[in-house]
Amino acid sequence: MKKLTMVLITLGGIAAFATIASSAEDLAAAVKERRDLMKKTVAPSAKLGGQMVKGTAPFDADKAAAAMTDISNVPDKYVTLFPKGTAHGEIEDSEAKADVWTDFDKFKQIAQKLKDASAKAAGAATQGKGSFTAAFNDMTKVCKECHETFREKID
Amino acid sequence: MRRVLLALLVLAVVGGAVFFFLTMPRTIPASALPAHDPDVKNGEYMFIAGGCAECHAVPRKKCSDSKTKDKTTLAGGRCLNTPFGVFNVPNISPDKETGIGNWSTLDFVNAMKQGIAPGGVHLYPAFPYTSYQRMTYEDLIDLKAYLDTLPAVKNEVPPHALSFPFNIRRGLGAWQFLYVDGKTFTPDPKQSTELNRGAYLVAGPGHCAECHSKRNLIGGIEQDKAFAGAKNPEGKGTIPNITPSDDGIGDWSEDDIAYLLETGNTPDFDVIGGNMAAVQENLAKLTPEDRKDIAAFLKSLPPRPNAVPKEKKASKEHDHDEEGDETGDEAAPDDGDEAAPDNADEAAPDSDAGDKKKPDEEEDY
Repeated sequence: MKKLTMVLITLGGIAAFATIASSAEDLAAAVKERRDLMKKTVAPSAKLGGQMVKGTAPFDADKAAAAMTDISNVPDKYVTLFPKGTAHGEIEDSEAKADVWTDFDKFKQIAQKLKDASAKAAGAATQGKGSFTAAFNDMTKVCKECHETFREKID
Repeated sequence: MRRVLLALLVLAVVGGAVFFFLTMPRTIPASALPAHDPDVKNGEYMFIAGGCAECHAVPRKKCSDSKTKDKTTLAGGRCLNTPFGVFNVPNISPDKETGIGNWSTLDFVNAMKQGIAPGGVHLYPAFPYTSYQRMTYEDLIDLKAYLDTLPAVKNEVPPHALSFPFNIRRGLGAWQFLYVDGKTFTPDPKQSTELNRGAYLVAGPGHCAECHSKRNLIGGIEQDKAFAGAKNPEGKGTIPNITPSDDGIGDWSEDDIAYLLETGNTPDFDVIGGNMAAVQENLAKLTPEDRKDIAAFLKSLPPRPNAVPKEKKASKEHDHDEEGDETGDEAAPDDGDEAAPDNADEAAPDSDAGDKKKPDEEEDY
């Protein structure tokens, strides 16, 4: 009986340790995934749109629309990548302010705004550069609003 | 023995006299002010370009909040947590008791150009008169006229809480002796009007060098490293190099810079943050020509390498490939980096504990 208890305790200990370890990994994975979405999807798409707006790249309605659609596909997934314990200071590489968790409704709201604004910009692209520029600039305001409120920039 | 005493006495007297002379408040006489009809509209423009509201407007919630309620309510109350201690930003609304309602235009000019308040009071250079001193008398007279139109708000701001020896105001006189001459920006006749305008906006009202330049031990800007980046004076991290070098913005075009000043977006479509966000919002209100001139001037700066190394704590947005830099963060996850008192905004529970840092109470997802 004593032996069994010992074994159970040991197993329990291992299991608990494994849970902690894997959850730490999960947290790091969530941070990486959300940052990758920003860095590999959103920023390059915005850059492409921005170059067209600035006139440093030729305006191409199809490419512009595709880039904006790529952005609009991000927010729904993005907001699911903020498990507790992944705020800036709690885990490496995180730029998320604690406000993400204290004001998660607002966070989601702005994410929805980005989704709408980028979808709108995708639609506007088909109506020419003028419409696209206006819609694009509106979208970047959403970027700014969210970053200012919820992002602690690491440099 | 007596001789030694005498020598000491002489030294003390001489030393005292030197201290007295060095730290004497130096002011501009009324005769220096040109006759000028104040242009309130230009005053407002200078107010925006100078970012006055960012420090002096009432903070939104807590005193360390860089966001403000209303940019025309200049009743002060913001706190700046610096290595020297806490600065409590004064009330500069036209209230006669607690603001600057009793200041004459000359008083105001002396504060902006000499760092001296009425009564010969030395002002701390957290108020960037080291830059504002380059502004023209006309712009300063206009600015004063604009401030006079804003609402007077009664609000007594607590005194600064600085550590010794920084708490001795008189000592600032010696510092001002080194860094303040009140000389107005003089345009370089060899350069275009546009470049000179950009240089003026950067050096004077814009006070860009104040944050973007490395400072020496006594807090003076190292001129040979100007604009090449610095430690964040008010917290963690670094302020970027804005000279046209590889470390700085060498691969940005003038249009890229102007676009950033207008929208807050870098060429790679990262969004600028921190205190620059508010600065950028002001710059967005300037004329497109002024933003272009600022951009042109920055591109004309001597290219310099970073004056302070980037913190190798976590990889930066665009150079994720930098390896081997994640050392020792785990031990102190919160403020393991540099000076602890620097980041009172984030970590220090003292001054305004309460409204942040309660992430565990809500479970929203």
